[in-house]
Amino acid sequence: MLEATDLTKKYDEVQALDGFSLSVAAGEICGLVGHNGAGKTTFVDMVSGLLRPDSGAVLVDGVPPHETRGEIGISPQHIALYRPLSVREHLELYGRLAGLRRKALKAEIEELATAMQLTSFLERRAGLLSGGQQRRTQAATALIHRPKLLLMDEPTAGADPETRQALLDVVKQRAAEGAAIVYTTHYLNELADLKASLAVASHGKVIARGSSAELLDGLPGEVRVRTTDHEYHRATTDPTAALMAVLAEARGTVESVELRNPDLDDLYRSLAVSDVH
Amino acid sequence: MSTDTLRVPEPLIRAGALIKYNSLLRLRDPSQLISYLVAPMVFMVMFQPLYTKALDYGSIQAVTGQLMMFSVFAMSIVANSIFVEREWLTWDRLRASRAARAELLIGKALPVFFVLLIQQAVLIVFGWAVVGMPFPKSLGLLTLAMCVWGFALLGMGAMLSTIVRSRGDLFVACDVGALLISSIGGAILPVDLMPPWAQAITTFSPGTYGLSMLRSAVQGDVVGTLQPGVICLVIGLICGAVATFRLAHGWGRSHLV
Repeated sequence: MLEATDLTKKYDEVQALDGFSLSVAAGEICGLVGHNGAGKTTFVDMVSGLLRPDSGAVLVDGVPPHETRGEIGISPQHIALYRPLSVREHLELYGRLAGLRRKALKAEIEELATAMQLTSFLERRAGLLSGGQQRRTQAATALIHRPKLLLMDEPTAGADPETRQALLDVVKQRAAEGAAIVYTTHYLNELADLKASLAVASHGKVIARGSSAELLDGLPGEVRVRTTDHEYHRATTDPTAALMAVLAEARGTVESVELRNPDLDDLYRSLAVSDVH
Repeated sequence: MSTDTLRVPEPLIRAGALIKYNSLLRLRDPSQLISYLVAPMVFMVMFQPLYTKALDYGSIQAVTGQLMMFSVFAMSIVANSIFVEREWLTWDRLRASRAARAELLIGKALPVFFVLLIQQAVLIVFGWAVVGMPFPKSLGLLTLAMCVWGFALLGMGAMLSTIVRSRGDLFVACDVGALLISSIGGAILPVDLMPPWAQAITTFSPGTYGLSMLRSAVQGDVVGTLQPGVICLVIGLICGAVATFRLAHGWGRSHLV
């Protein structure tokens, strides 16, 4: 569905993308993670058709993005809503722009409002909504026309748990219906919830790509032991041996023991560190 | 019959949606338009006796002068309507939609163009009914003049909104710009009564041509309307081209494909 090959983009002296390649299949949720300035938003803007690459190519369903804009849904990083317009008016506007006719649009609004928990404030103006409600509204405008490719750039930044869960559920549902989804976030546990494949971006390119299991294999987890005197942390790939070693040297009475498997935070840190070195 | 059965072409649906929601945005922020309607009405009534004593066409000057001045102030309505798209980060979302560039520009421009026309029309009617301005000899010519002036204002306002760096810049540019354009253009002190050096610089103000065109249109002077009208059209086209270029290419790091 999405094929991006060797994209480069330079802003003045800053190399925002430097050989960025990524493929996302229909029905796949791709979690795009990386530090600030890794090139995630530039990539999303390029796939949206807002930016032209200096070199490389983006194809959405086999054609350049500007030829298939109606098939792309975009939820940008920053809130971009018309404050005087209501939630329903936003959904109508973006639905009409995507080519939805009256009856279909009405049905989509009702369904999406229920799924995204927008019903109670559907007639309220965007400027009067809470941050979480604005986030949900913005995400809904990206979903209203059931796009084949969904670009969600940190859609849950600053959102409360309820907002986050409602959004994640809809994203999972859309993927199950066959949409390809690029989901950028700093909340790595969301990607685990979405069962997303991972693409780790750093310095303008994707430095690791695969399933969570593939990428986490071989990474150290952590043993944490808290005693009345001290708290011990030890990174390890052999939790049993590490636990025995920590207990042998620990002073005081043991209050708690925690064995933590490697997670996406560990992966991200290890890749980021190895990329810098 | 519903639009579903008529199968209205998609570009029309998209342009219609943009016009509808841009009109709603204007209607929900009516304070600028109201103030730019009420203030000139007050000034027309205040200045009418003065102008009538000083000029043969005093009542026409009282009406068209204030109309021109406050229509230039209303340029800020145009500028603001575009600037909020930058401020609210919504323009890129529209650019990334299926809507073509022309549809976006039409959807943005038409509602504010009608606001400018409505303002001029209300002030002309007020001028005739209350201030004593003679009834225009040709409504068609006057409508043409109002449309041309509205187009020039649309172009200037749109250009301003796309080149300023902040809302503060926009306020200053609109307020100071409107005062300069209208006062140098003869809205307060008629050009005929200005000292020679001041008359020389009126050539550089779009307001001069706007006022001359509107006054001539009220008097039914076709040539006197069309000559400055062409200049107003050219101003609108040049400014509109700059604005279109900026709007099409986005701001900051964006460039439209």
